[in-house]
Amino acid sequence: MTEQNRVSVQLQGLRKVYGDAVALENFSLDIAPGELVALLGPSGCGKTTALRILAGLDTDHSGQIIINGKDVAGTPANKRNMGMVFQAYSLFPTMSVLENVAYGLRVRKVDRAKRDARAQELLDLVGLGEMGKRLAHQLSGGQQQRVALARALAIQPNVLLLDEPLSALDAQVRTQLRDEIKRIQTEVGTTTLFVTHDQEEAMAIADRVGVMRHGVLEQCAPPQEVYLNPANVKVAKFVGAMNSLPAEVTSPTTLKIYGQSVNLRVGEGGAPTTKTGKALVRPEQLTLSHGDGSGPASATIINLTFLGPLTRISVRMTGDSSVLFISMPSALALDFPTGSTVNVEIRATSVLLDF
Amino acid sequence: MKRKLTPANYLALLAATSFFVFPLIAAFEFSLRVNLGKSHGFDNFRWVFQQEGFKTNLGVSFRLALLTAVAVLVLMVPTVVYLHLGGGRWKRMIEFICLVPLVVPVISFALGVGTAFPVFLQSTVYELSFLYVIVSLPYTYRALDVGLSSIPLLTLVEASRASGASMRQTLLFVIVPTIRSAVNGAVFLAIALSLGEFTLAVLLHWDTFPTWIANISQGHILNAIALSVLSLVGAWLVVVVMAIAPKSLRSNKTQEATS
Amino acid sequence: MSQVVAQRTGTPKKGAGPLAYLSRGSTLKSLVPLMPFLAFVAYFLVFPLTFIIRDAFLSNDGKFTLDNFAECFKGVYGHSFAVSIRLSFISAMIGAIAGAIIASAVVKTGTRSRRAIAATASVFANTGGVPLAFMFLAGFGTEGLVTKALKALGWNMYSGSFTLFSETGIILVYCFFQIPLMVLIFTPALENIKPEWREASDSLGGGRFSYFTRISVPLLFPAFLSTTLLLFANSFSAYATARAMTSGTLPLMPLLIGNLVDGNVLANQEHLGHAMAVCMIGVSAIVMGIYLLVLKFSKAKP
Repeated sequence: MTEQNRVSVQLQGLRKVYGDAVALENFSLDIAPGELVALLGPSGCGKTTALRILAGLDTDHSGQIIINGKDVAGTPANKRNMGMVFQAYSLFPTMSVLENVAYGLRVRKVDRAKRDARAQELLDLVGLGEMGKRLAHQLSGGQQQRVALARALAIQPNVLLLDEPLSALDAQVRTQLRDEIKRIQTEVGTTTLFVTHDQEEAMAIADRVGVMRHGVLEQCAPPQEVYLNPANVKVAKFVGAMNSLPAEVTSPTTLKIYGQSVNLRVGEGGAPTTKTGKALVRPEQLTLSHGDGSGPASATIINLTFLGPLTRISVRMTGDSSVLFISMPSALALDFPTGSTVNVEIRATSVLLDF
Repeated sequence: MKRKLTPANYLALLAATSFFVFPLIAAFEFSLRVNLGKSHGFDNFRWVFQQEGFKTNLGVSFRLALLTAVAVLVLMVPTVVYLHLGGGRWKRMIEFICLVPLVVPVISFALGVGTAFPVFLQSTVYELSFLYVIVSLPYTYRALDVGLSSIPLLTLVEASRASGASMRQTLLFVIVPTIRSAVNGAVFLAIALSLGEFTLAVLLHWDTFPTWIANISQGHILNAIALSVLSLVGAWLVVVVMAIAPKSLRSNKTQEATS
Repeated sequence: MSQVVAQRTGTPKKGAGPLAYLSRGSTLKSLVPLMPFLAFVAYFLVFPLTFIIRDAFLSNDGKFTLDNFAECFKGVYGHSFAVSIRLSFISAMIGAIAGAIIASAVVKTGTRSRRAIAATASVFANTGGVPLAFMFLAGFGTEGLVTKALKALGWNMYSGSFTLFSETGIILVYCFFQIPLMVLIFTPALENIKPEWREASDSLGGGRFSYFTRISVPLLFPAFLSTTLLLFANSFSAYATARAMTSGTLPLMPLLIGNLVDGNVLANQEHLGHAMAVCMIGVSAIVMGIYLLVLKFSKAKP
């Protein structure tokens, strides 16, 4: 397969302000050669700003951008050799698909035969080898994004930048193209920054996921780690579903939740400063057993939502009337019809406390 | 979009057609008169083509049109593109400037030019081209502005920049082809204005095709009528054929967006 | 059309930020790319304008004076204001109303014919000068074909005081470019009126009259007004056609200015011409000001 650059990226202490709004605050991120990092966060969290600063499309920021050991902060966008894929409508409407892919080489004055051959190679890579002669508007949304990917890779970019490339597509195409992007990225080995607001997408595609809130990178770690060991309460609440259970601090390392003793994990926020708080427990960290309506963990099933392999069960605690969500395999959920009385058990090795 | 026309609509279209067609037919009939109206023929047309001034003045007007078109492109395309990108805060100011020529009657403008311009500029007929650029500003600005509003300009520019293109390459390879029909519209306007403009040409004492027609009309009235019919019908044919030609001959889908 | 709308929503939001690479830094710096345009306009538009205004205040021996303006409002010059403004107003009204009626028929035809009509209108809207004058002489002159045909049908256009060289005659001639200009500009505005609105109005029990007064008129008024004022400016400044038609018999402002500066009628009156030119700009500016005011108080934007 085609030669690609393998470069490292270091973003150090980036800060960007639009008027009064801080878009990015002390943002630092290292990306290893060939790694795919996904920045995840709600809109307005600064993830796109970080990507655009790396691309050179946003300037007037402080901090350093080091690519392969060289600070490129003063280099204009068109000299940074970045491959960029936008959300949508980025294909040049008057050029054929092949011309679109060859564009970066054309402006680099590569001769026609060479650049067309290279463009064809990339179209083959994204599975659109036959579509070279078409115009952008003759392709589906998914195909257009494949072409945009081929165009971004044609110039052998230092870094591949993907700015919500899937969010304008239908659900089914989105999953398919997501896996395809991962396959191609692994194959060509280009260092990649992927920006998305979709958790599932970030988890599925990235080597590491960077969770962002209000311009701050809260945690950047492999997907499993972000999900299972969130660095702090903010990350825990943002990524995946979370129950907040009333908890009492019984020792520096243990909590009491509905009469059960659970290990306390101390996050970035430090040790608890109060005696009580809300323990963060994921729906799949809770299980049910049939109960007799007594005891602190007693509850009543109020609703079941069938989600295919899993079923989401909502229960109301007898003691404090709070509602919890429990997720379990659908086959097991059959045992718990609506209205039945149950006991809730916590099956987590350790939990974070929101205090 | 096609809807049913009412009888009143048909009546309006019929009345309009007659109002515009009858003078044309009448003028055409006049232009065919020879031997003091005793018979008909194409002598008046033939006479026109034999005149030395026909070729030279038409040539001057075409060269003026060409220069005006080029000047409009070079001046206006980068300017309006910039207003749609980083220069948005100046858009209102530039819009206002572009409307000023509507408020300044051409005759007033001509007076100012006569006194204000230095000799070196006033010594060439091509000074008219620069003035035509000014007079056509309201129309060319509008055409380009509408064209640029109908495309995802920012994304295209950023995609091009990220691909490694300079601003100049982006303009030439991406933006201009994408707004081809709007650019064509602006150029057509500028050309049409240059070919037909009379006031500035006559007051600044230049000979162009329109002033030549006015000149020969003193004494060769039927020939002038022949020439008038010829130029109007000629222009009309060119424009209509271009407008209804099959889509493949015209530029691509941005045409729908801007028309 | 729908595709365009979809594309627009896909465009990232605008703002100072994302485009910083084009307008880095200060306000002044962001003017730099506009310099060619501003320089061009300054030299070819603003510079000549300042000279007209300066000369309008100069006497023949180069001293400051207001006499030129005083002269403007006397005699034939003062009269020309009334004639020019009246003629332009009537011609704009006729052009706008007739053009709007024709446009409302044009908008119902197919895409292709609409395109052909637009192209035709653009050619006719640009006719003027000698060619236009001759067409009307050939058609509506005393020996014109239309005049003869109408006479044969029993109506003599020239039985009264009508001539093509009178105010009425000029208005008739100006219709030839005013009506197409209105059709050209007003048809796109009509195209923006969605048939769904008519259906919505009908379904809510609104009649034809209430649809017209409550929906069409408020929506179209700004476009109608702006085009009408454009027509006014168009005929107000028309010189070529007026010159070809009347050879100076009708006191129109552009014709008087032309005579004054060409010097073949009266010598040493150039500065009066400049003052008249400034007055014309003033009239146009007042009209534009009225338009902006009306626009401010109407709800829809053009």
